[in-house]
Amino acid sequence: MRVEYINPFVETSYRVLKEVLGGSEVKRGDLYLKSTAMPVMGVAALVGLAGDVEGRVLFDMTMDTALNIASKMNGEKLPEFDDLAKATISELANLITAQAVTKLHELGFKFDLTPPALFVGQKMEIAALGGTSENVEALIVPLITEYGKIEVNVAIRERT
Amino acid sequence: MKTKQDFPTINERPPEGVKTDGTKFRVLIVDDSMFVAKQLGQILSSEGYEIVATAADGKEGVDKYKELCPNVDLVTMDITMPRMDGITALEQIMAFDKNARIVMVSALGKEELVKKSLLLGAKNYIIKPLDRKKVLERISASLK
Repeated sequence: MRVEYINPFVETSYRVLKEVLGGSEVKRGDLYLKSTAMPVMGVAALVGLAGDVEGRVLFDMTMDTALNIASKMNGEKLPEFDDLAKATISELANLITAQAVTKLHELGFKFDLTPPALFVGQKMEIAALGGTSENVEALIVPLITEYGKIEVNVAIRERT
Repeated sequence: MKTKQDFPTINERPPEGVKTDGTKFRVLIVDDSMFVAKQLGQILSSEGYEIVATAADGKEGVDKYKELCPNVDLVTMDITMPRMDGITALEQIMAFDKNARIVMVSALGKEELVKKSLLLGAKNYIIKPLDRKKVLERISASLK
């Protein structure tokens, strides 16, 4: 995966998260790469990319973090992970991906986004992009906030 | 102490969402995200606008516009939506009513998309995340 793809996601994740959380502190953990299937924490929003480059971006967090962030973004305490909370986390994924994609377009990559899909559950695992052979490495960007940790998981490849 | 008399408020201004005849501007919100629809609704209602309907995709937005017309003053239109995207919905509403006032609301800020929307007749373009001030400014400018 080329570094040009990665930076826009790292930058916009940080910036958008800080903005929607009302300027609260967001710290970036150490980035790491993974090429095998990996467990997800409980709530995952996925946005697909298709065009000159293809792949997916996954925003992974625990249920507690998802509820805290959705509550903060709505300006009210959401007691359970209801439809509004789901729509809020999906929108967060959409905001970050859309801004990253806008930057990538400026760099000359042309592609489209899917609306976010949201997964909720325990003991889930996400397969590496491309199945088992010639896997695409996923880059994981941990973002730590006072509301909990979000891992932004980016797996993109150039279409051949 | 009668504070209201002692200190006449100098900040009083009519809410932007109310027309000079006292009736409210009527807004149709087209957005597939319940969160965004709620957020836009709260911002606009707080300034006196009336949300006459919300639609969850472009197709529903076009249908509701046709149904409501002429009892709708402004449409906020998301772009990335299932079934029919906001650009197609914009085209269809403009073809139906060339005086329609549509403001695009999207997280996508691509220049070509903004240009395309404006060329197709959109009055303005708001890039998310939504900020109260930005939304109210652009919406009221589009109604002038």
